[in-house]
Amino acid sequence: MKTTALLLGGVATALIGTALIFTPGWNLHRVHTVQTGFRGLSVGEMSTVKTDALRKAANALPDAIDPAEAGGKKATEVYKNVQVLTDLSAAQLDRVMLGFAAWVGGENGCNTCHNPDNLADDTPYQKRVARTMIKMTRHINKDWQPHVLQTGVTCYTCHRGQPVPNGVWFNEAPMTKGAATNNRGMGHPAAAANGYTAMQTVPFSGILDGKDPVRFQQTKALVEGPGPSIQTTEKSYSLMMAISYGLGVNCTYCHSSRAFYSWSEGNPLRVNAWQGINLVRDLNANFMAPLQAEWPKERLGPTGDGPKLYCMTCHQGAPKPLLGAQLAKDWTELGGVAAK
Amino acid sequence: MAFYENVFTQVQVQPKSPETGEGVGDANLARERFGKPILSYWAGFIGNAQIGPIYLGGLGIASVLCGFIAIEIIGLNMLASVHWSPIEFMRQLPWLALEPPLPKHGIKAFPPLAEGGWWLMAGFFLTMSMLLWTARVYRRAVQLGLSTHMAWAFLSAIWLFLCMGFFQPLMLGRFSEGVPFGIFPHLDWTAAFSLRYGNLYYNPFHMLSIAFLYGAALLFAMHGATILSVGRYGGEREVEQIVYRGTAAERAALFWRWTMGYNASMESIHRWGWWCAVLCPLTGGIGILLSGTVVDNWYLWAVQHNIAPSYPHVFPATVDPAATGVPQ
Amino acid sequence: MAMLNFEKKYRVRGGTLLGGDLFDFWVGPFYVGFFGVTTLIFTVLGVSMIAYGTAMDHVWNLFQINIAPPDLKYGLGLAPLKQGGIWQIVTVCALGAFGSWALREVEICRKLGIGYHVPIAFGFAIFAYTVLVVFRPVLMGAWGYGFPYGILSHLDWVSNTGYQYLHFHYNPAHMLAITFFFTNCLALAMHGAVIVSAANPRRGVKVRQTEYEDWFFRDVVGYSIGTLGIHRLGMFLAVSAAFWSAMCILISGPFWTKGWPEWWNWWLNLPIWR
Repeated sequence: MKTTALLLGGVATALIGTALIFTPGWNLHRVHTVQTGFRGLSVGEMSTVKTDALRKAANALPDAIDPAEAGGKKATEVYKNVQVLTDLSAAQLDRVMLGFAAWVGGENGCNTCHNPDNLADDTPYQKRVARTMIKMTRHINKDWQPHVLQTGVTCYTCHRGQPVPNGVWFNEAPMTKGAATNNRGMGHPAAAANGYTAMQTVPFSGILDGKDPVRFQQTKALVEGPGPSIQTTEKSYSLMMAISYGLGVNCTYCHSSRAFYSWSEGNPLRVNAWQGINLVRDLNANFMAPLQAEWPKERLGPTGDGPKLYCMTCHQGAPKPLLGAQLAKDWTELGGVAAK
Repeated sequence: MAFYENVFTQVQVQPKSPETGEGVGDANLARERFGKPILSYWAGFIGNAQIGPIYLGGLGIASVLCGFIAIEIIGLNMLASVHWSPIEFMRQLPWLALEPPLPKHGIKAFPPLAEGGWWLMAGFFLTMSMLLWTARVYRRAVQLGLSTHMAWAFLSAIWLFLCMGFFQPLMLGRFSEGVPFGIFPHLDWTAAFSLRYGNLYYNPFHMLSIAFLYGAALLFAMHGATILSVGRYGGEREVEQIVYRGTAAERAALFWRWTMGYNASMESIHRWGWWCAVLCPLTGGIGILLSGTVVDNWYLWAVQHNIAPSYPHVFPATVDPAATGVPQ
Repeated sequence: MAMLNFEKKYRVRGGTLLGGDLFDFWVGPFYVGFFGVTTLIFTVLGVSMIAYGTAMDHVWNLFQINIAPPDLKYGLGLAPLKQGGIWQIVTVCALGAFGSWALREVEICRKLGIGYHVPIAFGFAIFAYTVLVVFRPVLMGAWGYGFPYGILSHLDWVSNTGYQYLHFHYNPAHMLAITFFFTNCLALAMHGAVIVSAANPRRGVKVRQTEYEDWFFRDVVGYSIGTLGIHRLGMFLAVSAAFWSAMCILISGPFWTKGWPEWWNWWLNLPIWR
């Protein structure tokens, strides 16, 4: 009896101990921290040789494509049914198409969007969507420099070679009917979307495709009226988790955690993040939502909504997409501007 | 170390017939003691070997029943939230929740079941279970001739529980502010509560509560260690040491007197401990009650009262871009 | 005044670890000893350095004191006095004072012929402090990882450190530590209550002897751990709380750099249900 209990206890302890120590994700490398605040405040980003290498590998750049002449025949003169890139020369259009094939083509290359028998054919939905995406890319590069600066974006920023980028989101499945609690989308892990917590699994709804506020902390010490609820707070916290995973940073990258609301206490980078949220709202409202009719069934979410964007879509887990590589300056065709 | 350090029981007493409690309290009580006592080597290794009997009593049975109903409600709702899959239930168990009502239901006593009704019901039964247990502890103490300190201490814990789950939400007019049932969900609630009210570390009652919590650990480490260290003089029979001060009590007192210039007595250390432990949830509950009802942002409250330190700025001053209308 | 009426017979020579008879005397109720002297020196020096640093920052408010560690760039080297050097001196003083205090306790234990349980329990608290300001900074390669000395500023450190791992409540060792703290609080309330209520029984009832503690607990929860057991349990809970607190911060940073909620992914991905 005694021996059995001792043995069982020993085995159980050894198993649990081993399980905890050998769970994935532990780090044995020297940690490097970029200190971003006053000493002793414990603010900054941590990295190791391993996380640096992984991040570098995940953000490898596509092959460069030689620039094309802006002069010569216009694309519209050479090709049929050019609707968006009408300002380009034929050579530029060729170059851009070469880029598209590499950036979003996946295994099918040009045929992802084009009918190989008739390139002018508008039947593939991908082609119709691509037109909006090209407009969107130009819009970002031209009108959203407060967020993307002169670095700019190309299709590759999000797509990374694939027809469908990682990190798009859909509204969550409709709540279950019946008497059991529906919990409003809380109480399940959802990887990067809620940072593996039990908070809202889709914290984006209403905020990134609408105008719901992110802020919940009050800027007066004493109560002056009813404020946001705890459930709203958790939604914002969950959204911040998603931003953290989208950018591969922790909360102190932007915030001073003693006063999350405070702009003067926090890092100025928070202004960029604020612009980013506005950017995402703009893109979801003015580019993604109008595409609703174009999506085939298999591209829709559980409530029949089309894919939408958030920080992860472009950043793909890096503080700056593609680690800040200056891609767009080589792509004036897409609205990119050379750095000053 | 040649001498006995009291870490484990070295010689266990294994009585032929365990104590059944005959003669303690009146005869009716003995009848309600339930279960044949067993002797466990492992329990005896650190404490008494005897496990059981337990006193049932109407209050105890009612309390356990209420607790069972509460846990059933919580568990079945969690099971429903994974579409009744037992495997997913185990897999996601730490994440699963029974969330409080939607804000729009205010303090309605009977919101729709799916939108918080179950939560209210579970909360009711859990509270009843605790209150019945308090009554049971109270009655047991009275019947054994003891005073009722235990019941009052337990009420302090219930106070904190109700402040978080009932009183504060009630004062705000929204049960949606209550704590969800669930392992990770209640942690999320805790973090969100701190965020919502502008950093709970700056809440002075939270500070007090934590100080009492750490103080309780400090006191129990000090007291437990002291009694163990004078165990060789019979110091663990504390009530006897209180009444007839023995050398154990004297040495225990002198240890602290010589160490820090002050000592509690064998009796008063237990008052210190009781108050320290009881004040932890008591002050914590006050801190919760003031959040959202009086103070909306504890950090700003601290700034107003000159408590918050200021740090040298390492960045150029940033202002709220939404307020200045910078170009988007 | 200084002595309790039974105290004189306990005030004997000997039992010192260091210094022989030199410091083997009492001042008022305090035992001095070699380690009493070193405690005093370290404490006076440390507190003066805190006062000096605070005065240099022109802080005249107890709550706003902030003796911050050096910038990370100084690594494990010495920093200029005004850029964290004071923190380094204070840390050395604190470790010296805590260690001296524990050893003084050992001497007192020896004098009184009692076990070393108190200094051992105190050792766990010192260990936790050392983890925060020595072991973890050394593992991460800079003293700047230590926490600042200040009533509110150390809370800001705790807050930021927590949010560097997104949601610190998901740290399994933190969960354990909190559980031990809460359980300790519960156990202390119950132990204190049962002793006080037995020594101060209901009106008209004689003091309830030790056996009643057992009967009360058996009746209420079906088990009484016993008079010796509760002190073992209490000390275990308290030192475990300190130990796991130390563990939860020791693994954060040196061995885990991501959000703590993500750690639980292993549970979701167990082969039995993946």
